[in-house]
Amino acid sequence: MNVAVIKTKAETTLSEGFGQVAERLPGGADVQQAREDALGRFASLGLPHRRIEEWKYTDLRNAMKEALPVAVADEAKVTIADIIVALGPLAQLDAPRIVLVNGRYRRELSNLADASSIAVEPLSQALVGSDGAAGLLSDSGGDNAILALNAAYVTDGAVIDVPAGATLEKPLLVVHSRAGVEPRFAVGRNVIHIGEAATATVVEVFVTVPGSATEGQVNTASEVLVGAGATARHVKIAVDAGKVTHLANWTVEMEKDSVYRGFQFTSGVGLARNEIRATFKGEGAKLDISGIFLARGTEHIDTTLFVDHAVPHGESRELFKGVLDDTARGIFQGKVIVRRDAQKTDGKQMAQALMLSEDAEFDSKPELEIYADDVVCGHGSTSAQLDDDLMFYLRARGIPKEEARALLIQSFIGEAIDKIEHDGLREALAEQARIWLLGVGV
Amino acid sequence: MAAVQETIEQVKKIDVDQYKYGFETAIETVKAPKGLNEDIVRYISEKKGEPAWMLEWRLDAYERWLTMSEPTWAKVNYPKIDFQELHYYAAPKSTEGPKSLDEVDPELLETYAKLGIPLKEQAILAGVEGARVAVDAVFDSVSVVTTFKKELAKAGVIFCSISEAMREHPELVKKYLGSVVPKSDNFYAALNSAVFSDGSFVYIPEGVRCPMELSTYFRINEKNTGQFERTLIIADKGAYVSYLEGCTAPMRDEHQLHAAVVELIALDDAEIKYSTVQNWYPGDKNGKGGVYNFVTKRGDCRGKRSKISWTQVETGSAITWKYPSCILRGDESRGEFYSIAVSNGYQQVDSGTKMIHLGKNTTSRIISKGIAAGHSENTYRGLVSAHRKATNARNFTACDSLLIGDKCGAHTVPYIEAKNASAHFEHEATTSKISEDVLFYCRQRGLSEEEAVALVVNGFVREVLQHLPMEFMAETQKLIGISLEGSVG
Repeated sequence: MNVAVIKTKAETTLSEGFGQVAERLPGGADVQQAREDALGRFASLGLPHRRIEEWKYTDLRNAMKEALPVAVADEAKVTIADIIVALGPLAQLDAPRIVLVNGRYRRELSNLADASSIAVEPLSQALVGSDGAAGLLSDSGGDNAILALNAAYVTDGAVIDVPAGATLEKPLLVVHSRAGVEPRFAVGRNVIHIGEAATATVVEVFVTVPGSATEGQVNTASEVLVGAGATARHVKIAVDAGKVTHLANWTVEMEKDSVYRGFQFTSGVGLARNEIRATFKGEGAKLDISGIFLARGTEHIDTTLFVDHAVPHGESRELFKGVLDDTARGIFQGKVIVRRDAQKTDGKQMAQALMLSEDAEFDSKPELEIYADDVVCGHGSTSAQLDDDLMFYLRARGIPKEEARALLIQSFIGEAIDKIEHDGLREALAEQARIWLLGVGV
Repeated sequence: MAAVQETIEQVKKIDVDQYKYGFETAIETVKAPKGLNEDIVRYISEKKGEPAWMLEWRLDAYERWLTMSEPTWAKVNYPKIDFQELHYYAAPKSTEGPKSLDEVDPELLETYAKLGIPLKEQAILAGVEGARVAVDAVFDSVSVVTTFKKELAKAGVIFCSISEAMREHPELVKKYLGSVVPKSDNFYAALNSAVFSDGSFVYIPEGVRCPMELSTYFRINEKNTGQFERTLIIADKGAYVSYLEGCTAPMRDEHQLHAAVVELIALDDAEIKYSTVQNWYPGDKNGKGGVYNFVTKRGDCRGKRSKISWTQVETGSAITWKYPSCILRGDESRGEFYSIAVSNGYQQVDSGTKMIHLGKNTTSRIISKGIAAGHSENTYRGLVSAHRKATNARNFTACDSLLIGDKCGAHTVPYIEAKNASAHFEHEATTSKISEDVLFYCRQRGLSEEEAVALVVNGFVREVLQHLPMEFMAETQKLIGISLEGSVG
């Protein structure tokens, strides 16, 4: 940029406010240094804006006018009952869980009894522990301002280590909850290592305890390393009431013959940016990322994928489905890169939006960048309203309008939800989607 | 089988290294001094005897150009162009327009003959009944000869060089020039507006179906001259015109810049079909030389039920930066884009289209076929957008890429923006190499590998080929007999 950029209020708060909280952030001297370096990178990058190609449709600089105070060593009063209510249909799930409130690990709310086959440690502990703890704060080369911001301010999260050959039977819930009447900026990070030939399911849940401030800001990052021959199932569920800014980064690296199945469910989030960067490190790996986003009011949900086929014989599948009502805006950007040597790559991508209102908007930018010749790659993108013929068919059979509409929407998003293999989780998400549908006006 | 063999031979004939049209014609030319400043703009305007308003227009464009910077977003790499090192005007010396073909410099005619331009009537596609092509041949910058003018005039069609149009029909030029591609639209459009040398002007009056296909052949000839064409086509209510543009350029070491602007305007119920075959010098085997093609082409479906269709076959140029677009302003208007982009050697192609749906019930269709071989990079970049009031906008997009060899790249960068719920957009893209199964099938039936590849490539682009006018088929066949030699096996 040859234009001198004036810092916005939010940028100034985030860059200059660091000194006030730095002391209370977990970590020794090397971690502090890593935080300061990351803050420097953020300060020089600033908040992403529409002149940056990857942020063309989400002008965060404009949308995030103010930065809320960062939640550090938060003491909000939360009971197990609160968490159960906040989890909604997910509370039914028979699963061990680690609970964070406003970016801080709460032992009394967590229950890891069923997760003894793996090692789970709060990030705040890991950061003060061993040497090289600063490595937990990587921000992928530093061109990602949101990730740099995360590295600078992160307070807590889950460090999950699944030993080689181990199998985690039940899904592990990592619950990031918002609580308290004061709006806060919560910064969390999860580091997940799935050892060789191990299998695990990790479900990140972002919910709000009833009675909390309607506004809030979340910056979350997850780093997933899938070992050779391992299988990782990784789900993120963000459900809120329409005013929260949710910035998420997933970084996934896959070793030889590994399988990674990711899923993201987003509803009721005021402004969401879900960025996923997946890299094929070893040959023969299989990637499947899918998700649904449900938006109404003035909500804005952005899903941005980078799938990097760096080695041969990789397989990738992406399927994202969005339902947009009122003046909501959905964005899908999916870039698949097939590097020069990544022969025999098989990549398929699909993004579809269902528009329920005249004023909804869907912007899609599926992108292929291919340098190897022996590949099969394709992508598709569609946006449309509910099919009048299908509506007529259902109504002709005596199904009321609301019900017919709900049926069609459910079947539309069902294709993506069906990608979830765990029965309980799939049903819980289908139920979560049904709850959202109840709010659809006819 | 015979057809396949023919293709193979054509493939062999047109190798990047043995660029068939790489010859120079020794004709005296008048050149402007190197560089660009206000005086050069005045010089060009004066040389062309333009009215004062046109000079003002050019100077305004030049002022705007000075404040702009070159676009860098395209996926192409090239050394920075020194705009002060170029000549902005070159014209064959005989500035008095010849009255008939006999008066034309014989060497010039010979050049056309080498290019295979059907300049003389009897040369025009013998055997194709009723098909006559009017050629407004452009040799470097000045329109030299215009045929069939009288017959077109009978139908009321105006087909002349744009400088002539400025003198003869200033009201039309004033009204429409720059109304689709504004002076400050982009860096190269502004440059073109300031220094454009010549180009074609077409006006089809209300209700007239142009009696023949109109065609212009471009040829960059003089060393170090940028060619800045300006084309303006207006189809009045209910009119129809099919316009053909084809290009070849001689072999050169230094890069040549071509920054053309094409503006199409279709009023109510009018239809414009614009076909291009571009085969400029792509550079040698090591990526040295070749034409830079930075073109702004845009059509405005201004009237109700109007239609604009772009068909392009891009085989040449070292660098192509070109996005023929349609603004679907009128209700029920339609835009189409059919493209074949072939890149080989070190060519870089960044091309695509924009379909901007503004009116109600507008439809558009994009079929793009990219074939990358050698060390080339072939990018499709497109935008489909429906604005708030564009109810029932429909778009179908299919972008297919074929990769031949493991040193080339094929990329797809579509932008799809639906701001209206009733918009129905479908986009699909695939990238693959030629299926082993298909090759095996062909080989098993006795075809050689090259024949098999040619057969598959021909099939791959057929969908677009069939949208080309009959008159272009012969030439296109040759060009589609792409320089794929050596890319197999």
